[in-house]
Amino acid sequence: MSAQTSTESRADPAKSRSRQLILRIAAMRAWLFLAILLIFFETWSRISYGQTFLFSSYNAQSIAIFAVAPLLLALGSTFVIISGGIDLSIGFIMGLAAVIAAHATNLAGQSLPPFAAMLVGITAGLVVALGPGLVNGVLISKLKVPPFIGTLGMFGVARGVAFLLAGGTTVPVANSWFASLGNGRVFGFPVVVIITILFVLLMHYLLSQTRFGQHTYAIGANEQAAIRSGINVPRHIRKLYLLSALCAGLGGVLYAARFTAGAAQAGEPLLLDSIAAVVIGGASLFGGSGTILGTVAGALVIAVIQYGLVFINVEPFWQFVAVGVVIIISVLVDQTQRKLGGDR
Amino acid sequence: MKKIVTALAALAVGATVLTSSIAAQAQDKKFTVALIPGITTDGFYITMRKGAEAAAKAVGVDLVFQGAPEFNPVLQVPVLDAIIARKPDAILIAPTDKVQLVEPLKKAHAAGIPVITVDTFIGTGNYQTGAGEADFPLSYIASDNVLGGRIAARALAKSIGEKGKVYVSNVKPGVSTTDQREEGFKDELKNFPNIEVLETQFNDNDSNKAASQLQAVFARNPDLAGIFGANLFSAIGAANGVQQAGQSGKVKVVAFDAPPSIVDNIKTGLIDIAIAQHPAEIGYYGLISAFAHLTGQSIPVSIGTGFTVMDKDNVDKPEIAQFIYKD
Repeated sequence: MSAQTSTESRADPAKSRSRQLILRIAAMRAWLFLAILLIFFETWSRISYGQTFLFSSYNAQSIAIFAVAPLLLALGSTFVIISGGIDLSIGFIMGLAAVIAAHATNLAGQSLPPFAAMLVGITAGLVVALGPGLVNGVLISKLKVPPFIGTLGMFGVARGVAFLLAGGTTVPVANSWFASLGNGRVFGFPVVVIITILFVLLMHYLLSQTRFGQHTYAIGANEQAAIRSGINVPRHIRKLYLLSALCAGLGGVLYAARFTAGAAQAGEPLLLDSIAAVVIGGASLFGGSGTILGTVAGALVIAVIQYGLVFINVEPFWQFVAVGVVIIISVLVDQTQRKLGGDR
Repeated sequence: MKKIVTALAALAVGATVLTSSIAAQAQDKKFTVALIPGITTDGFYITMRKGAEAAAKAVGVDLVFQGAPEFNPVLQVPVLDAIIARKPDAILIAPTDKVQLVEPLKKAHAAGIPVITVDTFIGTGNYQTGAGEADFPLSYIASDNVLGGRIAARALAKSIGEKGKVYVSNVKPGVSTTDQREEGFKDELKNFPNIEVLETQFNDNDSNKAASQLQAVFARNPDLAGIFGANLFSAIGAANGVQQAGQSGKVKVVAFDAPPSIVDNIKTGLIDIAIAQHPAEIGYYGLISAFAHLTGQSIPVSIGTGFTVMDKDNVDKPEIAQFIYKD
């Protein structure tokens, strides 16, 4: 296929250039979607209400805060999906981390000053989240359980444990530091958004600039080739599911901080949104392609649709339709891109 | 004539002997009553169980509590079947669907087990009328959710000075209880001509979404005065949106339900008013009704339980605080 493509491009450079352009645009499709959506909402808002949508810092912040939780789940999923896997347990790992963080903060608060208690809570939430991630990794890499089934199992386990620990209710947190972590602002920027941006940069570096990232792409593109080239695939897969669980854990901790309560079902509605963000962002569910910045755009696309449709006062159920349509278009673009020979 | 009197007297004596022997039997045998909640992992039903336990202890009945981890008929029916197989003397159940639970509950009825529905209902909720397929349960014991919505509307109207824009933050359409709360809320607000009700926002039980919806509605309606959260997640989410928009205290939030966490939320000002149902009362009267029926007393076909309005000023008072749900 690629040999054929190169002969063709030599035969007709003009055609090849336009195809290169199409491929480049296809790779950036999430940002393109985002731009189209923003123009749409801006126009509608100006015409109907004489009010700006995009250039309001209030709207921008609201959308950013909204996108934080699904994006954090999606960041870890990006790595897993690029490697050709899937992690269905993240929603409830997030809930588990939220409940643990709430309990641990309260418990530590009995003997420690609030700031230290908050650190204990955050650490506990993140560390406990790694547990299900480790089990996922072992199931998939050592025991060869398909990722869909293995993580579905952990979805149930994490969920049950979170509900048990929470006693079937939400666990309120009484800690002023923790509350300002979730709702405070630094120089006018919400703290949760700042943390998420820093984390995005870290994940972007990890995926695009390190050997860890290269190996992730290699495994997703061709696992057998990756094994033959000397990559310790099982160990790498274990690390990927740990990373995914860590992202979900961070999502859970920030959720508990924001709502000053840990709820076992916190992440349940976010799982599908987060996978949608990864797919809209350009990752292929067959593995081998995807970027962190694409996922960021994907998460923003979903947040802008849901926020924007409420803003312009459209019947709420159109939100589902709109997100669904964007996912389908995105996958169609991906297929076309593959046909044109745009594989990495 | 004399013969008839004698016959009647004999009958009366016979009946007395019969009933007293039944009563004696009843006292010998310990009744078992099963309580099947809509979902086991919820403070509301946990509190209902405590109420039922208190009543069970008072009248010497064994209480069995079994349910599913999700509010879902597919998961509830197997639990119900297992309970029927154990042949309890009566079943108290919060049906998770008004249509899908009719047939499964008929099996209990056919097996001679009396059924009382608590919190939610099957069919229309009007029982023992001889109409329809789902009139066989003996009684429906629950909060009147339409009334609860009305109480929420009055409390919110009062706190915003009876003017301004408000909306309902709701879970999803089609849930009988939250639909009724919204209905009562909107209907009551018709009595307040200066209050405008904006379109309801559905959040799928996602606080994050409810918060974002509040911010979007506020962006378009800076004169927003209040929100009614039809369940806890809707209210907490909307309240966080209010906080993010820097409007705490200015935009009033009324929450339905009162789990323990609501106390903190009211004290910190996140939530202004909470409408507490009385689930313990539902559990208590559910069990007592079952016991009354089993011991030959007639019982009302429906019992409506009350509400308590909580705010910053009264939430610490013991007579109010007793209605906070238990862990």
